[in-house]
Amino acid sequence: MASKILMGNMPELMEDILNNLNNEFYSLYSCALVSRHWCKISIPILWRDPFSFEKKPLFISNYFSSLGEDEKFVLRKCGINADLSKKLFDYARFLKVLDLSRLESKVNKWLDLELVNSNYYISLMYHIINILIKLFIESGATLRKLDLHFSEFLEFSPEIFYSLGENKKIFSQLQDLSLGIILDSSIESVTTLLKILAKNTTKIRSLKFDGFYSDYEPQLFHALLYALICIIKSQEQLRQFSLIGGEDFPSEFYGIISALESQQNSLQEVIIENCGYSEEFEILNNCKKLEILRIRYCSDEILLKILNHQVNTLEIVDYMFEETTISTIKQILEKCGTSLQRLMIDSIDDEIWEESLLLDSLKSFCPNITYLYISNVEFSTQLVELIGKLQKLQFLTLVCNDFISGEELKTLVIQFAEILPLTLQYLDFRDDWLNSFIDILLNHCSAPLKKLLIDHLVKKKYAKALIEFCTRNKTLNYVGVDRYLKLNKKIRKEVKKYVTLVPYEHIVVNC
Amino acid sequence: VKLTSSEGTEFIIDRKVAEKSVLLKNMLEDVGESDMAIPLPNVTGPILNKVIDYCTHHRDDPFVSQEDDSKKVSDDIDDWDAEFCKVDQGTLFELILSANYLDIKPLLDLTCKTVANMIKGKTPDEIRKTFNITNDFTPEEEEHVRKENEWCEER
Repeated sequence: MASKILMGNMPELMEDILNNLNNEFYSLYSCALVSRHWCKISIPILWRDPFSFEKKPLFISNYFSSLGEDEKFVLRKCGINADLSKKLFDYARFLKVLDLSRLESKVNKWLDLELVNSNYYISLMYHIINILIKLFIESGATLRKLDLHFSEFLEFSPEIFYSLGENKKIFSQLQDLSLGIILDSSIESVTTLLKILAKNTTKIRSLKFDGFYSDYEPQLFHALLYALICIIKSQEQLRQFSLIGGEDFPSEFYGIISALESQQNSLQEVIIENCGYSEEFEILNNCKKLEILRIRYCSDEILLKILNHQVNTLEIVDYMFEETTISTIKQILEKCGTSLQRLMIDSIDDEIWEESLLLDSLKSFCPNITYLYISNVEFSTQLVELIGKLQKLQFLTLVCNDFISGEELKTLVIQFAEILPLTLQYLDFRDDWLNSFIDILLNHCSAPLKKLLIDHLVKKKYAKALIEFCTRNKTLNYVGVDRYLKLNKKIRKEVKKYVTLVPYEHIVVNC
Repeated sequence: VKLTSSEGTEFIIDRKVAEKSVLLKNMLEDVGESDMAIPLPNVTGPILNKVIDYCTHHRDDPFVSQEDDSKKVSDDIDDWDAEFCKVDQGTLFELILSANYLDIKPLLDLTCKTVANMIKGKTPDEIRKTFNITNDFTPEEEEHVRKENEWCEER
């Protein structure tokens, strides 16, 4: 007999199970056809984020079934050839994720499939986007994630703002808000929308602002800033804040960063990209729960401001580092000490690793690192020693420089393979030149790797070493290959008997 | 901490292990130190044994907040957990019910993921066979559901 969980007695547990199939469209579709009860539980999950479906967006037609006959008539008159008849469910009500740029691209594709004989393609597309958004609002949908990326031609009709005024539920459960680059043409729409959001949302946990310009018309710009600040201040528990400064590399933030003071007891993660220094960043010192910092392509002074934080995850990405920055990063590593668990330092500037200052700091002060990503570091004895010291290391990505070669390098690769901690389950060793030692590495490695990322498998000896490693270790599940499409068919067939080969990007683990 | 299963079998476990269950944690906080066994009438002995195994293995894991479920993926089960879930279907569903009753979110997540993995990629008929479900759709209803959602068939 089937479990009562699957028979309808405990719908919340059935939902817990099917939630794990989020965006597995085919599996959820199968579930919907199993029985009436399965259908009732799986359809709302299937329709949460249909715009992420990567094939033909034929599902869009289903939304229009709830339109009035007059509106359907207008669509048909415009050349829409889709089936607009009544449907079993009001699918619009199930929407949880709305991404305007995805919506736009899917409507575009849908029109290619369903439109016959129309001369008004562009205006029809934006008309349909407006109809859909209005349908979502009026259906009673409650969004969890909203991505506001206004393209040049997208404009919200006054009816949408009216509907939003009448149906406040749509934003009431919003947890994730992203705001894309705001163009001059859309600043008024965005500001009005943000004002509505500020009034109706309190549960946003993740807030991302992407693209920040200051050459808008001053009055409009200040209204936009005011709305942004209101959103930050009106949230009960903002946990993640991300700001991408953009090409202008701004150093004036008009109170947006300062507004984070209202979130000082909840903010856990801050991501700052392409920003210059502003005194507003001092506010981060008051954020007691801050544990994840990602600083990308920013002014060095911002790094100085994070010195007081004992974060557990630190990501520093930049093209070049000044000498003073290196000593600042050294101080940060020493300050973080045993708290630091995940670290990424990515740069094209190899000077950062010179004189082994940072390697020494890591070795002496940060024994609890579980994730390490470092680039442009010399493959050296010091590096190998550091890896050996990190006894909790689980994920390792190395992008190394080849200052040594021949026998010396071979010996060091053997040492490296032998010293890899027994906690290591992920090794990204995709460097082209290091890859030529992959057979030696695998032959001497006893770490229980589950995922290995390499550049290529062009030689038979590499495939042989990989097969022997799989047979010996029995832990390896996936090998991600950078030059996956260039894999020799024979080698692929042989290796696939022992381990799953995938394009490397399928299994990359980020910091 | 003493626990009694539905058949009356007594189990003695460390407080730290018991506190992986939010239900037991709250009870222990309310009652304080006591020699009295806590009765668990909804959990049988063999299932309680499995639950204790799980909580003992994960006793030092950090607490997972109820809200931290935004990144649900069903293929990140670690080896010990995967081995733990290699049980018959009846036991697996009993574990789900017990994890839910005892409020042990990581165990509930794990067991639900395991069932989800059994569903993944299957046809409706294969799912029915796997879980012994009767198709109660009328042919018309089934056809409607199929037609309105057949966009998913493109893989």
